Amino acid sequence: MPADPAVSAPAPAGRSPSTVMARLTAKKAVRSGALWGCFFGICVASSALTYLSSYKTPAAREKLVASFGSNTALASLFGPAHQLQTVAGFTAYKVLGFLSIVGAVWGLLAGTRLLRGEEDAGRWELLLAGQTTRRRAAAQALAGLSAGVAALFAVTALVTVVTGRSSKVHFAVGEALFFALALVCSAAVFLAVGALASQLAATRRQAAAYAGYAFGACYALRMVADSGVGLDWLRWATPFGWVELLQPLTASDWLPLLPAAALVVALAGATVYLAGTRDLGASTFPDQSNAPLRPRLLNGALGLAARLMRPTVVAWGAALAATAFMFGFIAKPAGAALSGSNSINRVLSHLGAHGAGAKAYLGVAFLMMSIMLGFIGAGQVTATRAEEAEGRLDHLLVRPLSRRSWLGGRVLEATAVLVISGLGVGAFTWLGGASGHAGLPFSSVVEAGLNMVPPALFVLGVGALVIGVWPRATSIVIYGLIVWSILVTLVGGFSNNNHWLLDTSLFHQMAPAPASAPNWTAGGVMIAIGAAAAMVGGAAFRHRDLVGE
Amino acid sequence: MTDVVSAAERVKPQGGWTAIRTQGLSKRYGPVDALKNLDLEVSEGEVVGYLGPNGAGKTTTIRLLLGLARPTAGRAEIFGIDCQRQPVEAHRRVAYVPGEASLWPSLTGAETLHLLGRVHGRVDPVYRDELIERFDFDSSKKVRAYSKGNRQKLILIAGLMTRADLLLLDEPTVGLDPLMEQAFRHCIHEARERGQTVFLSSHILSEIEALCDRVGILREGALVEMGTMAELRHLSALTVEATFDGSVPDLTGVEGVSSIETVGRVVRCQVRGSVEPLLQALAVSGVHKLLSHEPSLEELFLAHYGQRAETEGATADAG
Ligand SMILES: Nc1ncnc2c1ncn2[C@@H]1O[C@H](COP(=O)(O)OP(=O)(O)O)[C@@H](O)[C@H]1O
Ligand SMILES: [Mg+2]
Repeated sequence: MPADPAVSAPAPAGRSPSTVMARLTAKKAVRSGALWGCFFGICVASSALTYLSSYKTPAAREKLVASFGSNTALASLFGPAHQLQTVAGFTAYKVLGFLSIVGAVWGLLAGTRLLRGEEDAGRWELLLAGQTTRRRAAAQALAGLSAGVAALFAVTALVTVVTGRSSKVHFAVGEALFFALALVCSAAVFLAVGALASQLAATRRQAAAYAGYAFGACYALRMVADSGVGLDWLRWATPFGWVELLQPLTASDWLPLLPAAALVVALAGATVYLAGTRDLGASTFPDQSNAPLRPRLLNGALGLAARLMRPTVVAWGAALAATAFMFGFIAKPAGAALSGSNSINRVLSHLGAHGAGAKAYLGVAFLMMSIMLGFIGAGQVTATRAEEAEGRLDHLLVRPLSRRSWLGGRVLEATAVLVISGLGVGAFTWLGGASGHAGLPFSSVVEAGLNMVPPALFVLGVGALVIGVWPRATSIVIYGLIVWSILVTLVGGFSNNNHWLLDTSLFHQMAPAPASAPNWTAGGVMIAIGAAAAMVGGAAFRHRDLVGE
Repeated sequence: MTDVVSAAERVKPQGGWTAIRTQGLSKRYGPVDALKNLDLEVSEGEVVGYLGPNGAGKTTTIRLLLGLARPTAGRAEIFGIDCQRQPVEAHRRVAYVPGEASLWPSLTGAETLHLLGRVHGRVDPVYRDELIERFDFDSSKKVRAYSKGNRQKLILIAGLMTRADLLLLDEPTVGLDPLMEQAFRHCIHEARERGQTVFLSSHILSEIEALCDRVGILREGALVEMGTMAELRHLSALTVEATFDGSVPDLTGVEGVSSIETVGRVVRCQVRGSVEPLLQALAVSGVHKLLSHEPSLEELFLAHYGQRAETEGATADAG
């Protein structure tokens, strides 16, 4: 009998099998990179245009410089400001710090998803089967990832150059390209970090966690370097510092690109090397594949969810607690630095914050932490949907467990996580404040912590709705809602005439406690809408097919 | 809802419960008719095979029975309980084993069994331990460290250990090695002896033949045959390929032999029923080599229900 044609046929449709890994990785990376490039471009363009419409006169611009130019409290949050009297300086200040973080998170998630995630899913096994070595495969996947960075850069650069052509904005083409390069620098570094972590860890989740620790450490170093305590040289020790030192659109210094490029090359080299030293599907670090029976939580769907979310919740909890403590600790000096400046108070009042000193500062800090809380809520939603999409939910629902109890249980559990997080943020801010002698009243910071919960609960409710009516769109709708809200809040905070736009942001609906009293009515309305959405979602979920990815 | 009846109130019909009953059960996925108008009845204590090639609609049927998917039309009952309206009630009496399972990678095998046992509510711990031994399963590893075969053992044990009244098995032996398949067959025989009802889907004829009292045959979403194994015996044919030393004999007219093809010194034919007459005919003609294999389900379907001409041509070429 002739050989089965299916066995000897080359991998996908007649193309060369030798680059199949690079092409498949590139396809996914480029799609994602181009999409985020659009987001980067929108941020750049909207910042430049906001500046032009909000700060028209030289006097207004000088005032902006006076208040933000040398403010260390704000620098530790958003990075240092240069030449705010120009649209270039303002745009760089406004988006560089923020997009570096977004880019780094994109990089570490994409790097771990496209390497470790694909390997976990068994796709590498199919592709590799006898075609190439593991090292070559890893090198090809890295080439695919760099195509993703190239796409991110290309789209960002295109929008930046086009924006720069506008006569009022006027960025030189070279400067605009350098700016785009600076914007994607952290993405490239953390893509490589994600690739290396994928070799070290045993699962995608674990790899993302390792990369996340590296991210946290680099970001913390950057905050210390920018806090004005004489440790400016620390900027040279972190990729986020390098991005700042590039000073795009203002000074355009090429030198910090060197360490960034060197690090990327070193990480890529280590990735390829380690890929050859381990088996497919195995990790470099020892993986505990045998474990003792720990059945304590595993008595039902609720316990299972608690067990599954425990590592994530612990990591987020630690990050939130540390951030809250730090904000509390520096609230007093930061608040003092703020109170001298009228423009800053004007910006804060656009964000809805009133008053002065530590409380005004914490109003902004809590806004940032409420974004983190929103992401925790979104993570709970997508984890819930993943149970269904990946088919694990089948095993529960073919047993005597109703869909209503399962989804309801997950939502209630996530609600508990969010409420406890809110209270925890309040408590740790107070603790930090007490250590820094900020004299914050316990009740007002804890109230401010609780005040952050309604937007996150709203996210949860909308998540349950989408899971019920349009399950395959869950991630995109939920993260779209949050990213939109962040964008609107950041842009809106600096301009005066966009109230209808600001109202579409979740975070704008929330009073900026503790800078002002919490608005429990608005919070109650958000929770009520969220609860109604969750009910509708639950009903729809009970009457539809379970659907995979 | 007024027609919700508790188990105690339901009256046991004469001749035992009907374990599965579907009426006009249909499912459409966009333009695809995955299941067309299925009327099926399985009595309590029966072991029924559900045979069909890939894509015939076996999984769709079982997911409808479990309430994981909603029918486009028709209804289904398990022990008289509506599968869509009272899934929790129905599931108390059912164990389901899919052919492919994604489980929680961070749990160990033992933890998974513990969890699924608790969610089900009723487990026979002695039998569970016996199954673990019988399938030679190491339950202390994390799920992500298991091979495909080991994951399959895990969900088999999780399903069987409940001793549920109805076992819904969807190609449960995919990925098991022959020794383990033997252990699986043993479990099904045990289940039959205990009076459990078994509904076993498969695309492998021999597996169904060895285990089932009755077989339903599904093709392109429609039930084309339903009967006892004896009634369907005509389906089971053997392909025989004989190579001769000398002259090639004429096998036409030998009892049970059909579809004879001769290429040089090689003869291929199909045998239905006993092979005795063919063996006698071959014995006198100096056979050098004899190969036989069971036809695949696809081959059988080609032989019995006819197919589009081009498919037939393609198969003939491949042979
Ligand atoms: N979720 C789904 N969406 C769209 N089509 C589906 C889905 N599930 C099954 N089908 C289609 O329904 C038909 C029957 O599939 P299935 O029941 O899985 O077959 P079997 O289990 O017999 O191999 C196939 O044509 C398949 O492509
Ligand atoms: Mg199937």
